[in-house]
Amino acid sequence: MNENNEILLSFDSLRLGYGTKELLPPVSAAAARGELVAVIGRNGIGKSTLLRTLLGLQPALGGKILIGGRDLKELSGIQKARRIGYISTEMVRVSNMTVFDLVTFGRFPHTNWIGRIDKDSCLAVNDAIMKTGLGGFEKRYISSLSDGERQRAMIARILAQDTDILIMDEPTAFLDIVNKFDIIKLMLSLSKEGKTIIFSTHDLSIAVNQADKIWMMLEDKIVEGAPEDLALDGSFGSLFKSATVSFDTNEGTFKLKTESYNSIFIEGEGGIYNWTRKALGRIGWSVSSVPTEPYIIVPSTGRGKWILEFQEKQQYFDSLYDLTRSFKVGFRIDHL
Amino acid sequence: MHTAKGVLTAQHGRRIYILAILTLFLFVLLFLDIFLGSVTIAPSEVINAFFGNGDSNIATIVLKFRLPKAITAILVGMALSMSGLQMQTFFRNPMAGPYVLGVSSGASLGVAIVIMGFYSGIAPADLMTLGNWVLTLAAWLGAGAVMILIMAISVRIKDVMTILIIGIMLASGLSAVVSILQYFSNETMLKAYVVWTMGSLGNLSSGQLKVLAITVITGIILSIFLIKVLNALQMGENYASSVGVNIRMARVIVFACSCILAGSVTAFCGPIGFIGIAIPHIVRNLFRTSDHKILVPGSIITGGVVMLLCDIISQLPGSDRVLPVNSVTALVGIPVVIWIVIRNKKISGISDE
Repeated sequence: MNENNEILLSFDSLRLGYGTKELLPPVSAAAARGELVAVIGRNGIGKSTLLRTLLGLQPALGGKILIGGRDLKELSGIQKARRIGYISTEMVRVSNMTVFDLVTFGRFPHTNWIGRIDKDSCLAVNDAIMKTGLGGFEKRYISSLSDGERQRAMIARILAQDTDILIMDEPTAFLDIVNKFDIIKLMLSLSKEGKTIIFSTHDLSIAVNQADKIWMMLEDKIVEGAPEDLALDGSFGSLFKSATVSFDTNEGTFKLKTESYNSIFIEGEGGIYNWTRKALGRIGWSVSSVPTEPYIIVPSTGRGKWILEFQEKQQYFDSLYDLTRSFKVGFRIDHL
Repeated sequence: MHTAKGVLTAQHGRRIYILAILTLFLFVLLFLDIFLGSVTIAPSEVINAFFGNGDSNIATIVLKFRLPKAITAILVGMALSMSGLQMQTFFRNPMAGPYVLGVSSGASLGVAIVIMGFYSGIAPADLMTLGNWVLTLAAWLGAGAVMILIMAISVRIKDVMTILIIGIMLASGLSAVVSILQYFSNETMLKAYVVWTMGSLGNLSSGQLKVLAITVITGIILSIFLIKVLNALQMGENYASSVGVNIRMARVIVFACSCILAGSVTAFCGPIGFIGIAIPHIVRNLFRTSDHKILVPGSIITGGVVMLLCDIISQLPGSDRVLPVNSVTALVGIPVVIWIVIRNKKISGISDE
């Protein structure tokens, strides 16, 4: 078997839940080496429970979890810790803890009885700090870090743990957009180095655009596949039962369902055309493929004006804001 | 290039330096504690007493009273601060400590039941020969019962202040039970118990000191083996478990160790407050670290230093009066506790699970 196709983690007929309360019917899925797997699903469906069960933090009610071909139940705590690293949604707030201390904590399964940091551990910690771009932060106290820096320190910690599987529960929650993409970029580069990363997220655009594979948790099963596969077979459409969200198969994004009042013909091309279409879509107008009256002519450059033409009369708009505004308040055809 | 190792050694050097100074303090205070007391004894005579020459009365004072008392002070300080550190890490609660959580009160109740309950029919002379291990065991059981209760509560309630208030309520409730016991006990037993509650480092028989030394040293050795686990536990159970800690086992051992330390001290010296909560804080801020490889020896030595200091203050050198030692520890410890409360006002817990 090709090493790149090696299945590192899989579960079969896994039953999730607490005590006698089962969350889902038995589910199955797998993740290969070096894959970035996004776990998505509505709130409360059991994403965290799935991740915690895969780590052995809570017992499975049934079924089998295989880590590198071995049954999770056969592995000791330390053996598990050498294969799987974990970041939960819980923020670590220990007073007087430095970034170095935090990253060093990842060496736990590798150190002796008192936790002495030997040369190998020191190298691993240093390496993890460098890889996550935290060089120079070693002495900083974690209480003084920004959310993004703290999350990177948490990732450095599981890198120091030196596992081939990383499980992260909502790693980009609470981060602003720049930090969010910073973390995603880091996760992507780690997966290219051969780490299997399984992360849950609410950010569907990240899941759709960045993940190698998606585990989509539905009420009755887990659907797995490349994001594009799930888009094409209509699985994304079933993610939300709600009447307010829908998946736009053409654009590959989730959006608020808007009722189309009308359709209008747009003349033009390129980026400006696309953004114009998007703006009109937002206010409930779809694009007509046949000429309509009135119709819109988009400018060929960003400096130009949008033209709304009706019976050979033109109204000019400086921005899409002005254009959409006029649609909202209603055309004043008499002015044309 | 920036190396983590360089940072590590620089910080390490500073910490070793502080530890060395504290150890030096410990010895200086040990000698001071022996030299100073209600009877003024010249330093040369104290030294003579150690080598078996000089006045036999002075030798008795030094070797039979002052030395055991100083050793007791060190053991008590070490045990209480270590127990406090373990509880704070274990509950991830900066306000935890044997006294504030009611663990000392639990131990007191155990002792009260032994002194006033089972033995109230026996002559006071028998109190002295009363099994020291029975007393210790009763204190451990009392401490353990309260710890189990607090643990059960803290599983459901994460808010630091709420747990603190529950601890205080628990302590008051236990004192009420003790008061009832007092009401029904005879006068001599009552007096023995009241004297005990004032906390004393100097009333231990050599047999009791032996039991105290054995239990405290056992607890401290156990604590050293718990260093790695404590480092993991402060990250929270999920993270500790994810790096391979057997949580259930860790809970039981840390729990037992902390009860042995706090219970033994309470059994022989009475409830001594605020050392367990204050010392770990002083140590954390002195060393600016969360690493128990430093915090454990730091708390042990600082605990000994502060307790010796409290003992010296309590005997009011030069006068023949002696203050109850738990009043002194309260006066030393309470400002630290107030400082912690004010500093932590913004956060209601270390964890936000």
